[in-house]
Amino acid sequence: MPHSTVWVVSVEELTLSQAQELRRGTVVLACLALLRKPQYGYALLETLNDAGVTVDGNTLYPLLRRLEKQGLLTSEWNTEESRPRKFYRVSPDGSRVRTGLVREWQDLVASISRLTKEDE
Amino acid sequence: MSTGVLTERYVHEVVRRLPPDQRDDIARELRATIADTIEGRGADDRQAAEREVLGELGDPVRYAARYTDRPLALIGPDLYPAYIRVLGTLVATVLPALTLGFVLLEVADGGGLGAALRVGAGTVIGVGAQLVAAITLVFAVTERVRHHRGTTGTDRWTPDELPDVQRPDRGGVTALAAVAWDVLLFALIVWQHTAEPYWADGAAAGEGAYLEVLNPDLWSGWIWPVLAGLAGLAAVGVARVAGRGWTVRLAGWYALAHAVFTLPLAWVLYRQELFNPDFLADAKTLWESQESVYAGAAVIVLAMGVSSVVKAFRTARG
Repeated sequence: MPHSTVWVVSVEELTLSQAQELRRGTVVLACLALLRKPQYGYALLETLNDAGVTVDGNTLYPLLRRLEKQGLLTSEWNTEESRPRKFYRVSPDGSRVRTGLVREWQDLVASISRLTKEDE
Repeated sequence: MSTGVLTERYVHEVVRRLPPDQRDDIARELRATIADTIEGRGADDRQAAEREVLGELGDPVRYAARYTDRPLALIGPDLYPAYIRVLGTLVATVLPALTLGFVLLEVADGGGLGAALRVGAGTVIGVGAQLVAAITLVFAVTERVRHHRGTTGTDRWTPDELPDVQRPDRGGVTALAAVAWDVLLFALIVWQHTAEPYWADGAAAGEGAYLEVLNPDLWSGWIWPVLAGLAGLAAVGVARVAGRGWTVRLAGWYALAHAVFTLPLAWVLYRQELFNPDFLADAKTLWESQESVYAGAAVIVLAMGVSSVVKAFRTARG
């Protein structure tokens, strides 16, 4: 049907870009969840991507710094190995924010599943 | 192993855009991260992998901006609406006012119609460009200062800032045309005085000479209220266009300006003193009888004035 498809962008591309918008906020929550154990940037990126939370390095690394600046993460240099790495972990404030975000997330999931019930 | 030359150049490009106290720390972390990522690829060709990884990190300017939250736009979304509003207002008010002012100055200096038009066009382009550049600069600086202080988004928009719904301006184009006509007439009167455009063959002046079309004696008398009235009419017309319609008060000013313009003109016509006698003598072939032309012109000028004023008041009331 010519009226249901936009002639410039395909439905697949639109879905992809909208999904990206949807995922954007979840990276912070995933970081706060994962960094209960100290972790360094690259390893965290791998873990996130393996877990299905796709994020680019150029987004994640600056994000870690900003979260640290906001006091949600703390960091420490580990120089025991041959390559010194900066390890991040969640601060007490970060834990509280994570709890709030998890509740928010569950509310959202419940709301959206109610709203989309008819589609199934 | 060590990071390559490309990595060093990349890291340098990033950290030199960061606050000095963070540079070393971020550089150290970035080097380690890039090295980790290259190793993670497990590629045989290290240099190719390095290129790939740096390419994925992307433009160092953009990357550095993500650390600092520095705006990558000249004027960000917070300030953009205000920017457009200020720009629109000033370009619509100050620019025409300045242009009109400079044109009238040029005319008053005896610059002639061509020179006045040149000055007008020059003012629109020159002053317009400077106006836009200055406003843009002020907003760009404000954008950066706000980000620096972290005061973005503090001044909230309120419904008080809503502009009035613009009434469809019936007769706006006509009013604008009237303003243009007033200005043109003003310029023509001054021009024919300073440029003396009419070439008389010499029937009256003895020899051929350049003449004014209007009576030169008017310049020590009645021409001044006529010019003042024209200027007033133009000013009221501009106010009428800006206000998108007549008000009773505006119509009052219009009546006054029209009186200042029309009554002396009608008087001059009645006394048959409008045109340069030398010009008339030379151009006599055009008129069989001066008197009937003069009387007719006086009546027409008065009638036109009265009808415009009546129309303005009627529209203001309705």
